[in-house]
Amino acid sequence: MIDQNLTPPPLPPLPSRSAPAGAPLGSDPAEQVPITGLLTAVEALLRQPRRVMFQLRQPPVRTVLLALLVIAIACSLIYGLVVGTFSGGTQLWAAPVKIAGGLLLAALICLPSLFIFACLSGAEVRLSEVAGFLSGQLALMAVLLIGFAPVAWVFSQSTESVAAMGALHLAFGLIAAYFGLRFLNTAFAHLNARSGSGLKVWMVIFILVLLQMTTALRPIVGTSDDFLPAKKMFFVNHWAECLKK
Amino acid sequence: MSVRAWNLSQVGLLLRAQPAALREWVNPWRTERALFCLAAIALGAGLYGAAMGCWRSGLQALYTGIKLPLVVLLTTLGNGLLNGMLAPLLGLNLSLRQALMTVLLTFTIASILLGAFSPVAAFVVWNTPPLTDATRLAAAEYGLLQLTHVVFIAFAGVTGNLCLAPLLRQWSGHTAVAHKVLLAWLAANLFLGSQIAWVLRPFIWDPARPVEFIGQEYLRGSFYETVFDAARRLLIW
Repeated sequence: MIDQNLTPPPLPPLPSRSAPAGAPLGSDPAEQVPITGLLTAVEALLRQPRRVMFQLRQPPVRTVLLALLVIAIACSLIYGLVVGTFSGGTQLWAAPVKIAGGLLLAALICLPSLFIFACLSGAEVRLSEVAGFLSGQLALMAVLLIGFAPVAWVFSQSTESVAAMGALHLAFGLIAAYFGLRFLNTAFAHLNARSGSGLKVWMVIFILVLLQMTTALRPIVGTSDDFLPAKKMFFVNHWAECLKK
Repeated sequence: MSVRAWNLSQVGLLLRAQPAALREWVNPWRTERALFCLAAIALGAGLYGAAMGCWRSGLQALYTGIKLPLVVLLTTLGNGLLNGMLAPLLGLNLSLRQALMTVLLTFTIASILLGAFSPVAAFVVWNTPPLTDATRLAAAEYGLLQLTHVVFIAFAGVTGNLCLAPLLRQWSGHTAVAHKVLLAWLAANLFLGSQIAWVLRPFIWDPARPVEFIGQEYLRGSFYETVFDAARRLLIW
Protein backbone atom coordinates (compact mmCIF):
# COMPACT_ATOMS: atom_id res chain seq x y z
CA MET A 1 0.00 0.00 0.00
CA ILE A 2 1.31 3.41 -0.94
CA ASP A 3 1.95 5.80 1.92
CA GLN A 4 -0.17 8.88 1.28
CA ASN A 5 1.59 10.98 3.90
CA LEU A 6 4.09 12.95 1.80
CA THR A 7 5.19 15.26 4.62
CA PRO A 8 8.78 14.38 5.41
CA PRO A 9 9.83 13.95 9.02
CA PRO A 10 11.31 17.10 10.59
CA LEU A 11 15.07 17.51 10.23
CA PRO A 12 17.23 17.31 13.31
CA PRO A 13 18.77 20.71 14.06
CA LEU A 14 22.44 21.28 13.30
CA PRO A 15 24.78 20.68 16.24
CA SER A 16 24.43 23.66 18.54
CA ARG A 17 27.36 26.03 18.98
CA SER A 18 28.03 24.72 22.48
CA ALA A 19 26.34 24.16 25.81
CA PRO A 20 23.28 26.23 26.78
CA ALA A 21 24.06 29.87 27.52
CA GLY A 22 23.52 29.54 31.28
CA ALA A 23 25.71 26.45 31.72
CA PRO A 24 29.11 26.95 33.37
CA LEU A 25 32.06 27.40 31.00
CA GLY A 26 33.74 24.10 30.18
CA SER A 27 30.64 21.98 30.87
CA ASP A 28 30.76 20.88 27.23
CA PRO A 29 33.86 18.70 26.58
CA ALA A 30 34.33 20.49 23.23
CA GLU A 31 35.01 23.72 25.13
CA GLN A 32 37.92 22.09 26.93
CA VAL A 33 39.82 21.34 23.72
CA PRO A 34 42.85 23.68 23.71
CA ILE A 35 43.00 26.36 21.02
CA THR A 36 46.11 25.82 18.94
CA GLY A 37 46.81 28.07 15.98
CA LEU A 38 45.32 31.25 14.65
CA LEU A 39 42.77 29.66 12.31
CA THR A 40 41.41 27.51 15.13
CA ALA A 41 41.07 30.66 17.22
CA VAL A 42 39.16 32.46 14.44
CA GLU A 43 36.91 29.42 14.00
CA ALA A 44 36.33 29.22 17.74
CA LEU A 45 35.56 32.95 18.00
CA LEU A 46 32.80 32.60 15.42
CA ARG A 47 31.40 29.16 16.26
CA GLN A 48 32.42 28.33 19.83
CA PRO A 49 32.84 31.61 21.70
CA ARG A 50 32.38 29.74 24.99
CA ARG A 51 35.44 27.66 24.15
CA VAL A 52 37.50 30.84 23.82
CA MET A 53 36.09 32.16 27.10
CA PHE A 54 36.86 28.89 28.89
CA GLN A 55 40.41 28.80 27.53
CA LEU A 56 40.93 32.41 28.62
CA ARG A 57 40.13 31.38 32.19
CA GLN A 58 42.68 28.54 32.19
CA PRO A 59 46.24 29.51 33.16
CA PRO A 60 48.47 30.28 31.40
CA VAL A 61 46.26 32.77 29.52
CA ARG A 62 49.23 34.06 27.50
CA THR A 63 49.00 31.69 24.49
CA VAL A 64 45.33 32.32 23.67
CA LEU A 65 45.65 36.02 24.49
CA LEU A 66 48.58 36.42 22.11
CA ALA A 67 46.78 34.47 19.37
CA LEU A 68 43.75 36.75 19.74
CA LEU A 69 45.92 39.87 19.65
CA VAL A 70 47.72 38.67 16.51
CA ILE A 71 44.34 38.02 14.86
CA ALA A 72 43.10 41.47 15.86
CA ILE A 73 46.22 43.20 14.51
CA ALA A 74 46.45 41.16 11.28
CA CYS A 75 42.76 41.49 10.41
CA SER A 76 42.61 45.22 11.19
CA LEU A 77 45.73 45.76 9.07
CA ILE A 78 44.05 43.99 6.14
CA TYR A 79 40.85 45.98 6.60
CA GLY A 80 42.94 49.14 6.87
CA LEU A 81 44.52 48.33 3.52
CA VAL A 82 41.04 48.18 1.98
CA VAL A 83 40.24 51.53 3.60
CA GLY A 84 43.49 52.92 2.18
CA THR A 85 42.61 51.91 -1.39
CA PHE A 86 40.03 54.72 -1.41
CA SER A 87 42.71 57.44 -1.39
CA GLY A 88 45.75 55.41 -2.43
CA GLY A 89 49.29 56.82 -2.03
CA THR A 90 50.52 57.11 1.54
CA GLN A 91 47.10 56.09 2.86
CA LEU A 92 47.84 52.55 1.70
CA TRP A 93 50.15 52.18 4.71
CA ALA A 94 48.84 54.99 6.93
CA ALA A 95 45.23 53.73 7.10
CA PRO A 96 46.18 50.17 8.16
CA VAL A 97 48.59 51.50 10.79
CA LYS A 98 46.00 53.95 12.13
CA ILE A 99 43.16 51.40 12.25
CA ALA A 100 45.20 48.65 13.91
CA GLY A 101 46.93 51.14 16.20
CA GLY A 102 43.71 52.97 17.04
CA LEU A 103 41.91 49.75 17.95
CA LEU A 104 44.74 48.62 20.22
CA LEU A 105 45.14 52.06 21.77
CA ALA A 106 41.41 52.30 22.50
CA ALA A 107 41.54 48.88 24.17
CA LEU A 108 44.62 49.82 26.18
CA ILE A 109 43.04 53.09 27.33
CA CYS A 110 39.87 51.28 28.42
CA LEU A 111 41.46 48.16 29.97
CA PRO A 112 42.00 49.63 33.46
CA SER A 113 38.42 50.89 33.70
CA LEU A 114 37.10 47.53 32.51
CA PHE A 115 39.04 45.74 35.26
CA ILE A 116 37.87 48.25 37.89
CA PHE A 117 34.24 47.97 36.77
CA ALA A 118 34.51 44.16 36.79
CA CYS A 119 35.85 44.19 40.36
CA LEU A 120 33.25 46.74 41.50
CA SER A 121 30.48 44.52 40.20
CA GLY A 122 31.81 41.65 42.30
CA ALA A 123 33.25 39.57 39.46
CA GLU A 124 35.92 37.02 40.37
CA VAL A 125 38.46 37.83 37.70
CA ARG A 126 42.16 38.58 37.25
CA LEU A 127 43.59 41.39 35.12
CA SER A 128 45.07 38.87 32.67
CA GLU A 129 41.63 37.32 32.17
CA VAL A 130 40.05 40.73 31.59
CA ALA A 131 42.81 41.49 29.08
CA GLY A 132 42.09 38.14 27.44
CA PHE A 133 38.36 38.85 27.12
CA LEU A 134 39.11 42.30 25.74
CA SER A 135 41.51 40.86 23.17
CA GLY A 136 38.80 38.35 22.23
CA GLN A 137 36.43 41.26 21.67
CA LEU A 138 39.00 43.06 19.49
CA ALA A 139 39.76 39.89 17.52
CA LEU A 140 36.07 39.24 16.83
CA MET A 141 35.59 42.86 15.73
CA ALA A 142 38.57 42.69 13.38
CA VAL A 143 37.51 39.32 11.93
CA LEU A 144 34.06 40.74 11.20
CA LEU A 145 35.65 43.77 9.54
CA ILE A 146 37.40 41.36 7.17
CA GLY A 147 33.94 40.05 6.25
CA PHE A 148 32.91 43.61 5.40
CA ALA A 149 36.10 44.29 3.45
CA PRO A 150 34.85 43.15 -0.01
CA VAL A 151 31.75 45.33 0.38
CA ALA A 152 33.86 48.30 1.49
CA TRP A 153 36.20 47.79 -1.47
CA VAL A 154 33.32 47.84 -3.99
CA PHE A 155 32.15 51.17 -2.58
CA SER A 156 35.65 52.66 -2.30
CA GLN A 157 36.23 52.01 -6.00
CA SER A 158 33.05 53.72 -7.15
CA THR A 159 32.62 56.79 -4.96
CA GLU A 160 34.72 59.91 -4.43
CA SER A 161 32.82 61.15 -1.39
CA VAL A 162 34.93 61.05 1.79
CA ALA A 163 31.81 61.57 3.92
CA ALA A 164 30.00 58.62 2.30
CA MET A 165 32.99 56.31 2.74
CA GLY A 166 33.51 57.54 6.30
CA ALA A 167 29.87 56.82 7.14
CA LEU A 168 30.12 53.36 5.58
CA HIS A 169 33.25 52.42 7.55
CA LEU A 170 31.69 53.83 10.69
CA ALA A 171 28.59 51.69 10.18
CA PHE A 172 30.72 48.57 9.62
CA GLY A 173 32.81 49.43 12.68
CA LEU A 174 29.71 49.83 14.85
CA ILE A 175 28.24 46.52 13.68
CA ALA A 176 31.57 44.81 14.43
CA ALA A 177 31.68 46.56 17.82
CA TYR A 178 28.16 45.30 18.61
CA PHE A 179 29.21 41.66 18.12
CA GLY A 180 32.50 42.25 19.93
CA LEU A 181 30.76 43.78 22.95
CA ARG A 182 28.22 40.96 22.92
CA PHE A 183 31.15 38.53 23.24
CA LEU A 184 32.48 40.49 26.21
CA ASN A 185 29.04 40.65 27.81
CA THR A 186 28.64 36.85 27.50
CA ALA A 187 32.11 36.31 28.96
CA PHE A 188 31.36 38.58 31.93
CA ALA A 189 28.08 36.75 32.58
CA HIS A 190 30.22 33.81 33.75
CA LEU A 191 32.23 35.80 36.30
CA ASN A 192 29.62 35.70 39.09
CA ALA A 193 29.16 39.47 38.98
CA ARG A 194 26.40 40.92 41.17
CA SER A 195 25.39 43.46 38.53
CA GLY A 196 26.03 44.09 34.87
CA SER A 197 25.45 47.83 34.98
CA GLY A 198 29.18 48.61 35.36
CA LEU A 199 29.94 46.73 32.17
CA LYS A 200 27.19 48.62 30.34
CA VAL A 201 28.71 51.94 31.42
CA TRP A 202 32.12 50.70 30.26
CA MET A 203 30.68 49.74 26.86
CA VAL A 204 29.46 53.31 26.36
CA ILE A 205 32.91 54.61 27.32
CA PHE A 206 34.62 52.19 24.91
CA ILE A 207 32.39 53.22 22.01
CA LEU A 208 33.03 56.91 22.74
CA VAL A 209 36.80 56.29 22.83
CA LEU A 210 36.60 54.42 19.51
CA LEU A 211 34.60 57.24 17.93
CA GLN A 212 37.04 59.86 19.21
CA MET A 213 39.90 57.75 17.83
CA THR A 214 38.47 58.28 14.31
CA THR A 215 39.03 62.02 14.83
CA ALA A 216 42.28 61.87 16.82
CA LEU A 217 43.93 59.78 14.09
CA ARG A 218 42.37 61.61 11.12
CA PRO A 219 42.52 61.36 8.21
CA ILE A 220 41.83 57.63 8.02
CA VAL A 221 39.69 57.82 4.88
CA GLY A 222 40.75 61.01 3.08
CA THR A 223 44.22 62.47 2.46
CA SER A 224 46.45 64.92 4.31
CA ASP A 225 50.05 66.14 4.22
CA ASP A 226 50.50 65.22 7.87
CA PHE A 227 50.32 61.74 9.38
CA LEU A 228 48.46 63.06 12.43
CA PRO A 229 46.35 66.24 12.78
CA ALA A 230 47.73 69.33 14.51
CA LYS A 231 44.30 70.67 15.49
CA LYS A 232 42.49 68.98 18.36
CA MET A 233 38.82 68.39 17.83
CA PHE A 234 35.81 66.50 19.26
CA PHE A 235 34.51 63.79 16.93
CA VAL A 236 31.03 65.33 16.60
CA ASN A 237 32.54 68.62 15.36
CA HIS A 238 34.82 66.78 12.95
CA TRP A 239 31.95 64.80 11.44
CA ALA A 240 29.81 67.92 11.14
CA GLU A 241 32.65 69.61 9.24
CA CYS A 242 33.01 66.59 6.94
CA LEU A 243 29.29 66.68 6.14
CA LYS A 244 29.41 70.41 5.38
CA LYS A 245 32.14 69.81 2.80
CA MET B 1 25.08 12.39 -8.84
CA SER B 2 26.40 14.35 -11.78
CA VAL B 3 23.48 13.12 -13.89
CA ARG B 4 20.97 13.82 -11.11
CA ALA B 5 22.24 17.33 -10.53
CA TRP B 6 21.66 18.29 -14.14
CA ASN B 7 18.24 16.69 -14.28
CA LEU B 8 15.43 19.22 -14.79
CA SER B 9 13.49 17.59 -11.98
CA GLN B 10 16.02 19.22 -9.65
CA VAL B 11 14.41 22.56 -10.53
CA GLY B 12 11.08 21.33 -9.16
CA LEU B 13 12.85 19.97 -6.11
CA LEU B 14 14.44 23.36 -5.43
CA LEU B 15 11.20 25.28 -5.96
CA ARG B 16 9.24 23.02 -3.62
CA ALA B 17 11.93 23.96 -1.10
CA GLN B 18 11.37 20.99 1.20
CA PRO B 19 13.93 21.32 3.97
CA ALA B 20 15.22 17.73 3.62
CA ALA B 21 15.88 18.16 -0.12
CA LEU B 22 17.51 21.56 0.33
CA ARG B 23 19.67 20.26 3.13
CA GLU B 24 20.92 17.53 0.82
CA TRP B 25 21.90 20.26 -1.65
CA VAL B 26 23.84 22.21 0.93
CA ASN B 27 25.50 19.40 2.81
CA PRO B 28 27.72 17.69 1.75
CA TRP B 29 29.26 20.14 -0.72
CA ARG B 30 29.21 18.89 -4.34
CA THR B 31 30.76 20.86 -7.16
CA GLU B 32 28.11 19.61 -9.62
CA ARG B 33 25.38 21.17 -7.53
CA ALA B 34 27.21 24.48 -7.28
CA LEU B 35 27.71 24.42 -11.06
CA PHE B 36 24.01 23.68 -11.52
CA CYS B 37 23.19 26.73 -9.39
CA LEU B 38 25.57 28.90 -11.43
CA ALA B 39 24.02 27.65 -14.68
CA ALA B 40 20.49 28.24 -13.39
CA ILE B 41 21.42 31.79 -12.34
CA ALA B 42 23.11 32.50 -15.69
CA LEU B 43 20.13 31.15 -17.62
CA GLY B 44 17.24 32.43 -15.48
CA ALA B 45 18.57 35.90 -14.69
CA GLY B 46 20.13 36.08 -18.16
CA LEU B 47 16.80 35.46 -19.89
CA TYR B 48 15.10 38.05 -17.73
CA GLY B 49 17.94 40.51 -18.36
CA ALA B 50 17.57 40.00 -22.09
CA ALA B 51 13.86 40.74 -21.83
CA MET B 52 14.69 43.92 -19.89
CA GLY B 53 17.22 45.18 -22.40
CA CYS B 54 15.35 44.31 -25.59
CA TRP B 55 13.20 47.45 -25.29
CA ARG B 56 16.23 49.45 -26.39
CA SER B 57 18.06 47.13 -28.81
CA GLY B 58 19.37 43.64 -29.38
CA LEU B 59 22.81 44.66 -28.13
CA GLN B 60 21.38 46.11 -24.92
CA ALA B 61 19.44 42.83 -24.47
CA LEU B 62 22.72 40.92 -24.78
CA TYR B 63 24.52 43.21 -22.33
CA THR B 64 21.71 43.17 -19.76
CA GLY B 65 21.43 39.40 -20.23
CA ILE B 66 25.04 39.17 -19.09
CA LYS B 67 24.93 41.90 -16.46
CA LEU B 68 21.91 40.72 -14.45
CA PRO B 69 23.43 37.29 -13.63
CA LEU B 70 26.70 39.12 -12.92
CA VAL B 71 24.98 41.26 -10.28
CA VAL B 72 23.67 38.11 -8.62
CA LEU B 73 26.99 36.25 -8.70
CA LEU B 74 29.14 39.21 -7.60
CA THR B 75 26.76 39.88 -4.71
CA THR B 76 26.92 36.22 -3.63
CA LEU B 77 30.72 36.18 -3.79
CA GLY B 78 31.22 39.63 -2.28
CA ASN B 79 29.05 38.81 0.72
CA GLY B 80 30.11 35.15 0.98
CA LEU B 81 32.56 35.74 3.80
CA LEU B 82 30.28 38.14 5.68
CA ASN B 83 27.23 35.86 5.40
CA GLY B 84 29.34 32.91 6.57
CA MET B 85 30.43 34.90 9.64
CA LEU B 86 26.99 36.30 10.47
CA ALA B 87 25.25 32.89 10.56
CA PRO B 88 27.20 31.41 13.51
CA LEU B 89 27.26 34.77 15.29
CA LEU B 90 23.46 34.89 15.12
CA GLY B 91 23.13 31.33 16.39
CA LEU B 92 23.11 29.11 13.28
CA ASN B 93 26.15 26.86 13.19
CA LEU B 94 26.80 26.85 9.44
CA SER B 95 30.26 26.51 7.91
CA LEU B 96 31.44 29.13 5.44
CA ARG B 97 30.83 26.74 2.53
CA GLN B 98 27.36 25.79 3.75
CA ALA B 99 26.43 29.45 4.15
CA LEU B 100 27.73 30.23 0.66
CA MET B 101 25.77 27.34 -0.84
CA THR B 102 22.60 28.34 1.06
CA VAL B 103 22.79 31.90 -0.25
CA LEU B 104 23.56 30.55 -3.72
CA LEU B 105 20.41 28.41 -3.47
CA THR B 106 18.39 31.50 -2.55
CA PHE B 107 19.62 33.29 -5.64
CA THR B 108 19.13 30.14 -7.76
CA ILE B 109 15.46 29.96 -6.78
CA ALA B 110 15.10 33.70 -7.42
CA SER B 111 16.77 33.35 -10.84
CA ILE B 112 14.60 30.39 -11.83
CA LEU B 113 11.58 32.53 -10.94
CA LEU B 114 12.98 35.40 -13.00
CA GLY B 115 13.55 33.03 -15.91
CA ALA B 116 9.91 31.97 -15.65
CA PHE B 117 8.84 35.63 -15.60
CA SER B 118 10.98 36.51 -18.63
CA PRO B 119 8.24 35.71 -21.22
CA VAL B 120 5.83 37.90 -19.26
CA ALA B 121 8.44 40.67 -19.08
CA ALA B 122 9.12 40.30 -22.81
CA PHE B 123 5.36 40.52 -23.45
CA VAL B 124 5.18 43.73 -21.37
CA VAL B 125 8.13 45.18 -23.31
CA TRP B 126 6.51 44.17 -26.62
CA ASN B 127 3.33 45.99 -25.62
CA THR B 128 5.21 49.10 -24.48
CA PRO B 129 5.43 51.98 -27.01
CA PRO B 130 8.83 51.63 -28.69
CA LEU B 131 11.80 53.77 -27.78
CA THR B 132 12.15 56.79 -30.10
CA ASP B 133 14.24 59.99 -30.19
CA ALA B 134 11.32 61.76 -28.53
CA THR B 135 11.29 59.41 -25.52
CA ARG B 136 12.41 61.10 -22.32
CA LEU B 137 13.41 59.75 -18.90
CA ALA B 138 10.12 61.07 -17.52
CA ALA B 139 8.08 59.18 -20.15
CA ALA B 140 5.20 57.11 -18.76
CA GLU B 141 6.20 54.01 -20.74
CA TYR B 142 9.72 54.06 -19.29
CA GLY B 143 8.32 54.50 -15.79
CA LEU B 144 5.94 51.58 -16.32
CA LEU B 145 8.81 49.35 -17.50
CA GLN B 146 10.96 50.29 -14.52
CA LEU B 147 8.13 49.61 -12.11
CA THR B 148 7.28 46.26 -13.72
CA HIS B 149 10.88 45.07 -13.50
CA VAL B 150 11.26 46.25 -9.91
CA VAL B 151 8.11 44.33 -8.92
CA PHE B 152 9.21 41.13 -10.69
CA ILE B 153 12.76 41.24 -9.33
CA ALA B 154 11.68 42.12 -5.79
CA PHE B 155 9.07 39.34 -5.82
CA ALA B 156 11.64 36.80 -7.04
CA GLY B 157 14.21 37.93 -4.46
CA VAL B 158 11.83 37.84 -1.52
CA THR B 159 10.40 34.46 -2.59
CA GLY B 160 13.90 33.02 -2.93
CA ASN B 161 14.67 34.06 0.63
CA LEU B 162 11.36 32.87 2.05
CA CYS B 163 11.89 29.43 0.48
CA LEU B 164 14.96 29.01 2.64
CA ALA B 165 13.16 29.96 5.86
CA PRO B 166 11.83 26.45 6.72
CA LEU B 167 15.29 24.93 6.20
CA LEU B 168 16.98 27.50 8.43
CA ARG B 169 14.21 27.08 11.02
CA GLN B 170 14.70 23.32 11.18
CA TRP B 171 18.48 23.68 11.14
CA SER B 172 18.62 26.11 14.01
CA GLY B 173 15.71 24.69 15.97
CA HIS B 174 14.51 28.26 16.64
CA THR B 175 12.26 30.43 14.48
CA ALA B 176 13.82 33.61 15.88
CA VAL B 177 17.36 32.52 14.92
CA ALA B 178 16.23 31.58 11.39
CA HIS B 179 14.54 34.96 10.96
CA LYS B 180 17.57 36.84 12.28
CA VAL B 181 19.94 35.04 9.90
CA LEU B 182 17.58 35.51 6.92
CA LEU B 183 17.14 39.19 7.72
CA ALA B 184 20.88 39.74 8.12
CA TRP B 185 21.60 37.97 4.82
CA LEU B 186 18.80 39.84 3.05
CA ALA B 187 20.07 43.21 4.34
CA ALA B 188 23.70 42.47 3.43
CA ASN B 189 22.79 41.19 -0.05
CA LEU B 190 20.44 44.10 -0.71
CA PHE B 191 23.09 46.60 0.42
CA LEU B 192 25.88 45.26 -1.79
CA GLY B 193 23.58 44.16 -4.63
CA SER B 194 22.17 47.68 -5.03
CA GLN B 195 25.66 49.14 -5.37
CA ILE B 196 26.83 46.46 -7.83
CA ALA B 197 23.69 47.02 -9.91
CA TRP B 198 24.40 50.75 -9.76
CA VAL B 199 27.95 50.22 -11.07
CA LEU B 200 26.78 47.90 -13.85
CA ARG B 201 23.91 50.15 -15.05
CA PRO B 202 22.16 50.83 -17.42
CA PHE B 203 19.95 47.76 -17.61
CA ILE B 204 17.13 49.24 -19.66
CA TRP B 205 18.21 52.48 -21.30
CA ASP B 206 20.28 55.65 -20.92
CA PRO B 207 19.29 58.50 -23.25
CA ALA B 208 22.63 60.26 -22.76
CA ARG B 209 24.86 57.37 -23.81
CA PRO B 210 25.16 54.91 -26.69
CA VAL B 211 24.69 51.22 -25.97
CA GLU B 212 27.73 50.09 -23.97
CA PHE B 213 28.47 47.36 -21.44
CA ILE B 214 29.62 49.68 -18.63
CA GLY B 215 30.37 53.35 -19.28
CA GLN B 216 33.33 55.00 -17.55
CA GLU B 217 31.16 57.47 -15.66
CA TYR B 218 29.07 54.69 -14.16
CA LEU B 219 31.98 53.83 -11.88
CA ARG B 220 31.56 57.21 -10.18
CA GLY B 221 29.23 57.79 -7.25
CA SER B 222 27.18 55.28 -5.34
CA PHE B 223 23.56 54.22 -5.25
CA TYR B 224 23.15 55.47 -1.68
CA GLU B 225 24.70 58.88 -2.33
CA THR B 226 22.23 59.36 -5.17
CA VAL B 227 19.31 58.33 -2.99
CA PHE B 228 20.58 60.59 -0.20
CA ASP B 229 20.97 63.55 -2.59
CA ALA B 230 17.51 62.97 -4.02
CA ALA B 231 15.99 62.84 -0.52
CA ARG B 232 17.89 65.99 0.48
CA ARG B 233 16.65 67.87 -2.61
CA LEU B 234 13.12 66.73 -1.90
CA LEU B 235 13.28 67.85 1.73
CA ILE B 236 14.88 71.21 0.92
CA TRP B 237 12.17 71.95 -1.63
